[in-house]
Amino acid sequence: MKGFDGKLVGSVHPITRDECKMVHDAAIRVLEQGGVRCDDERAAKMFEDAGCTLENNRELVKIPEKAVMDALAKCPGSFTLHGRNDPTKDCSIGTGEVHFCTVTGRYIDDIRTGERRKVTRQDAIDGTLMADALENVHGLYKPVMWLFDEEMICNSQILTTEWMKHTNKPGTWVYNTGAEHEVSDLIKMWQIAVGGEEEMRQKPHMLGHVVVNPPRVIDVHYTDWLIGFCDSGTPLSIESALMGGATGPATRAGMLVQCMVEIYSLVVQSQSYKPGHPLAFCSFNPAMDMRTGLWATGTPEYGINGGGIAAMAKYHNIPVVGFGMSDSCEFDQQTAHEKALKNYNYALAGLSWIIDLGGTAGFNLVSWPEMVLENEMVAYIGEYLKGIQIDEERLSVDTILKVGPLPGSYMKEKHTRKWFREEFFMPELNNKEFFESWQRGHVELQEKAKQKALSILDNHQSPVAAEIQQELDSYLDFCMQRDLG
Amino acid sequence: MSIEINEEYFEKLALTVIDGEDEECVKLVNEGLDAGVDPLDAVEKGLARGIDKVGEDFGAGIIFLPELAMAADVMKQGTTILDERIKASGEKRASHGKVVIGTIKGDIHDIGKSVVAAVMQANGYDVVDIGIDIDVDAFIDALKEHDADVLGMSTLLTLPLMEMEKVIIRLKEIGMRDDIKVIVGGCPVTQEFADEIGADAVGFDAQDAVFKLDGLMGVNRSRATAQA
Repeated sequence: MKGFDGKLVGSVHPITRDECKMVHDAAIRVLEQGGVRCDDERAAKMFEDAGCTLENNRELVKIPEKAVMDALAKCPGSFTLHGRNDPTKDCSIGTGEVHFCTVTGRYIDDIRTGERRKVTRQDAIDGTLMADALENVHGLYKPVMWLFDEEMICNSQILTTEWMKHTNKPGTWVYNTGAEHEVSDLIKMWQIAVGGEEEMRQKPHMLGHVVVNPPRVIDVHYTDWLIGFCDSGTPLSIESALMGGATGPATRAGMLVQCMVEIYSLVVQSQSYKPGHPLAFCSFNPAMDMRTGLWATGTPEYGINGGGIAAMAKYHNIPVVGFGMSDSCEFDQQTAHEKALKNYNYALAGLSWIIDLGGTAGFNLVSWPEMVLENEMVAYIGEYLKGIQIDEERLSVDTILKVGPLPGSYMKEKHTRKWFREEFFMPELNNKEFFESWQRGHVELQEKAKQKALSILDNHQSPVAAEIQQELDSYLDFCMQRDLG
Repeated sequence: MSIEINEEYFEKLALTVIDGEDEECVKLVNEGLDAGVDPLDAVEKGLARGIDKVGEDFGAGIIFLPELAMAADVMKQGTTILDERIKASGEKRASHGKVVIGTIKGDIHDIGKSVVAAVMQANGYDVVDIGIDIDVDAFIDALKEHDADVLGMSTLLTLPLMEMEKVIIRLKEIGMRDDIKVIVGGCPVTQEFADEIGADAVGFDAQDAVFKLDGLMGVNRSRATAQA
């Protein structure tokens, strides 16, 4: 799907280009002097092939600046996450468009009962259909975190089957349970969803996350995924996932330096394994909440750090994506303002793929009415990004001269009729009524969102072809038979 | 010149914990021992007073986790030295109980478990944090080595959950289960899961972990809840 664009995308960053150079130099000092730990011979070989020095029985990798710059030079400046068998769902990453993607959760506010409960397989189906139906949801993260009503050993496979069966929009995957066959099974399912191995290589539809275990450890499980993603042609989203004050420094600049250390190390690793493989820098860098020890995702420092990573991505001409989210444990004003501020900040900084819609509380809670509300929130952001278009006709001088001074009105002017729909934003759900008429009777915003969500769940049909659904089910049967007998 | 063991000395010792001054703490403890301080007094009138104040301030929102964690670390360094002397004298210092805590095999997430360990320590428990990716044998060995009362196991991932049950089964097999209270925690851990594997309690956050631990160990606090 075409994302939001406009003259403000990528226009605001929290650090200057000169400061990007300082962050880069600091990160290189850490990579050259301290390096990263690597407990996996496959990863060690990748670093060695890229010109890095291996010390301490090949467990410590010192990465010279040349290896970083060589690797960055191999990365494409943009790539496409394709719709599955549907080019209208293609999302262009790194070209000045901003796309919004759902987030995941362990619990759900049940739309019909109001109960807060653990998520199930049916919720995975419902969440996928919701995301498929909403016009400003461009892609999906896993619709729910786990399926609490299914066996844990095949949980990711069941989840992925339902996900692929109910939407053609592109998606994002992050390592889930660590089960033995997870990597190969999920890639196989993604291939089935688009008709085969080569079809997926030609038109990748998933963004695969690879994460450093902070501080500065190349994680063996993520190397499994890195290899799987690269072999299948799946573009990478590479992130540090540090938590300021716990697994990263307690200054914003220090967090950014360590983020870049860890991101650079994954750039070197991935480009050594598969030169030219598309990737994006990813922002997921909360500070630790100093009272609870939890990650704080709704805070200004989280959002501003994402802007910093976007600045570094722009500095190197690499696409950038990121996780949004709020810390609120319910869908309230805190959720709304944390998300609106962060997502607008992200969009201004030029993030191409923002993973945030429909959930809160740090991957803990999802709600379908909330996804509807945030579908509208990002429409507002899209409008803001347009800025003010300046051209002769929009400057409107002839019309201004014609209508004024009073008496006179623009309401019946052809110029008005031509332009108002394009220039003025028309929200679907938000209130713009007269105060008195609203007082006489109205439907609350939450209720409007609930009604829209219920309508989608009652009426929206999966766009996925029946034969693909059947093939996915057959492969899932194979997985279940193999792992559960 | 030998220092004088008096109220001022104990106050200084408490302050090293409150301020997170590990080198000063070790120096004062050693100087105190040279000057003949009763090691039990050094703990109870000095270090423990400090950690109590830290716990109160944390509960009141005056200080935050880094200060709490540093204080717990200083306390540990001081008591490690003093415990040797206390043990040699045949005495035993007051503690709500000894906890061995770690992140289960298959998981390398450290922070949540470390926060719980620090909050437990600030609430009067002796905590031995044995780290991450800990297998059944390492848990059992640590419980024996430290003569622990409580086993704490944590994970952020789903598959390692199964490892928790293995540890509890082993405890039963070797006849230690009745002597050890087991508390589990982490993102995917539910009450149902804890019941299923036979754990005694689940801590849903650090405060809850201390609250549940107090219940298991029969600790009645003067304050309404644990300091977290």
